[in-house]
Amino acid sequence: MKRPIFLFSLLLILGLVVSACAAPVTAPAAAPGEQPAPAAQKVTIRLATWAGVDESAELQVLLDAINSEQDRFEIVHEPAPADYYTKIQTALAGGTSADLFWLSQEWIAGMAAQGALLDITDFLAGDTVHPAANLDDYFPDILKTAQYQGRTYGLPWIAQPVVLYFNRGLFDAAGVDYPTADWTWDDFVAAAAALTKDLDGDGKNDQWGFTMNGWPPPQMFVWQAGGEVITADLSACPIDTPEAIAGFQFYADLIYDDVHTPPEAVIQEQGFGEMFKAGKIAMFMGGAADDLDRVPGLDVGVVRVPAGPAGRPTFAWTASTVIAAQTQNPELAYEALALLTEKIHGWKIVAPRKSLANVEALVAAEPRKEKNAAAIVEAIPDMRAFNIIPRHQEWDTIFWGDFMDPLFHDQGTAAELAPKIRPMLEELLP
Amino acid sequence: MEAAIQSYWPTLVRWSLVGGALGAMMYLLNTGLQRIGVKRDIARGYAFVLPWIFGFLIFSLYPFFYSFYLSFTEYNIFQPPRWIGLDNYVRMFTSDRNFWPSLRLTMLYAFFNVPLGMIGALGVALLLNRNVRAIGFWRTLYYLPAVLPAAAVALLWRWMFSPSSGLINFFLQPFYALFNMQPLAWFTDPNLVLPAYVIMGMWGVFGANAVILLAGLKNIPRALYEAAQIDGAGTWAQFRFVTIPMLSPTLFYTLVTGIIGALQIFTQAFFITTPQRAGQFLNVLIYQEAFAFRHMGYASAMAWFLLAVILALTLLVIRSSALWVYYESEKG
Repeated sequence: MKRPIFLFSLLLILGLVVSACAAPVTAPAAAPGEQPAPAAQKVTIRLATWAGVDESAELQVLLDAINSEQDRFEIVHEPAPADYYTKIQTALAGGTSADLFWLSQEWIAGMAAQGALLDITDFLAGDTVHPAANLDDYFPDILKTAQYQGRTYGLPWIAQPVVLYFNRGLFDAAGVDYPTADWTWDDFVAAAAALTKDLDGDGKNDQWGFTMNGWPPPQMFVWQAGGEVITADLSACPIDTPEAIAGFQFYADLIYDDVHTPPEAVIQEQGFGEMFKAGKIAMFMGGAADDLDRVPGLDVGVVRVPAGPAGRPTFAWTASTVIAAQTQNPELAYEALALLTEKIHGWKIVAPRKSLANVEALVAAEPRKEKNAAAIVEAIPDMRAFNIIPRHQEWDTIFWGDFMDPLFHDQGTAAELAPKIRPMLEELLP
Repeated sequence: MEAAIQSYWPTLVRWSLVGGALGAMMYLLNTGLQRIGVKRDIARGYAFVLPWIFGFLIFSLYPFFYSFYLSFTEYNIFQPPRWIGLDNYVRMFTSDRNFWPSLRLTMLYAFFNVPLGMIGALGVALLLNRNVRAIGFWRTLYYLPAVLPAAAVALLWRWMFSPSSGLINFFLQPFYALFNMQPLAWFTDPNLVLPAYVIMGMWGVFGANAVILLAGLKNIPRALYEAAQIDGAGTWAQFRFVTIPMLSPTLFYTLVTGIIGALQIFTQAFFITTPQRAGQFLNVLIYQEAFAFRHMGYASAMAWFLLAVILALTLLVIRSSALWVYYESEKG
């Protein structure tokens, strides 16, 4: 009796060793030109995203549509709304990464430089089938966030320009004219001051013209002043030029001042965007896809951001879907990426493609934006993304921790701080 | 759905195999030990701790030594570690602008938090040691903080420190009015971040430490107090010459664990937004280097340095214990 148990135990341990050494169990991919595998042997393409419950449900509709037309693969969604980047990196390190995953703009160059992402340049060059693979259709400044050293590592699926949301009710009550598409910084600051009020007469303001807490990005104001934070060729961080300093100081003069914007503590207590939704903030710079213009009880308009001395560039938050270099099925993963990106471009606004930068495409993707679609489309030509370096997270930590935080807390002016911080930032350039 | 099950299937198979293989190894160990003459009970004992030993070796001991190796490498998790000798340690001590301020902040936090926490815990334990009605209820109530999730507690404290609607500034209002001051902006003013964390650390006054000290107080023989009273000792003298010496082994234990805990502060700092550098404790810096910058080698070096600091301070406290900790069995 004991001998069979003994042998069984040995076999079980052997089974574990063999299983541990074996390659992950996946169905073989069909070679190009070969008949697709039967449905039962579809290859699983795993997609990791930071999507929450509602976003996941919407995404699943797109995936179901793709999967129902595919014989060779099935995309399985693995959402990770919390601690996303730690999970992604851990999975990559452990060799268990999803085949496809979302990355926001500042992560792609670093991961590409360290070999974690699949270079899809050649796939794209040979692809004449999928519209989302036509790189000429993308806004170049957005596309470059998915590129590193001239090679492409992902397809951007969103470029969300910052626009100015304004609460018509508060403007009417204060007798201030609504913002217009030709507003300048001066118009904006004057309106923000006029809309900051102590409504109940207790000596404390309870309504403010504008709000900022590091968002909108200060870089946007530097661009509007004619400055730059990282040059396009990634060779310098000219944050101490007169133009850049003008942009930073404009931001620093407004933030937390209680004359145009709420104090920091009030924002922390009452919430940043929540204050606008509660009718306590008259103007808010938000992404084009934000839900600020459909808050029940608020009449909200949208307009381009005000222009600085050098123009009206606006920041576009960008994210891409990339393929893990360790994927077992690069061809199918690419096919899934191209199909998925096309679907997402019909779902998320604003799609980062010139052919979709129009009111019709925008409303088709997001009917709830119909009222303000024209203003968003008007902002598209002005949008631009950050210039990204491989060590962008480190760069950001210095930029915020050693430059913006002291600047926002009156520990120095932009002119005093910028020359000291510039060398620290430039140490991290490639 | 079908694809989801298909993709989960290999995981389930591996999981079952691991469980089965562990069971098989336990069986083989038990049989093998008995065959070589080990007593049945002892053989079974070893067989039952085998899964734990595997878990310890794989998930604790191996990462422990591997991180030591990594501290001498440059490792970004995507590419193999590259040996760089002592470079990480040299960088840490000579050129990292954030390391020394982080270490200073962490040490300052421990310096204030540990003694204040111990004094507070002792006070709570003394209160709970009194014969009041429903003492069981009070003890349970004061132990509750120990079982609450640290993240939830951090968020609760963030609300309590809220400048205009928080509980702390509400109670301080009379002082603000008296001195014509603006309410303190606890976690947003860089100068107040450390005091806010220290006050928040007082949360540790309740919970485990108070209960441990209470157990220590309960162990002090009544006869000692009676003898002291006969000798004319008042309340303070009894506390000073009976309670403190008899409680010193328990105080020693809470001091050691308090130092270790304070130097490892992370959760609160991770969940509460402060001006970036003002709340950058060493563990936060380590996390940032590891998971935001993928400097796993450098983060490992800092983690090992933190271990060395904790070890040195613990040894110092242990060496000093001969001067102030009274063990009944030693001195009779």
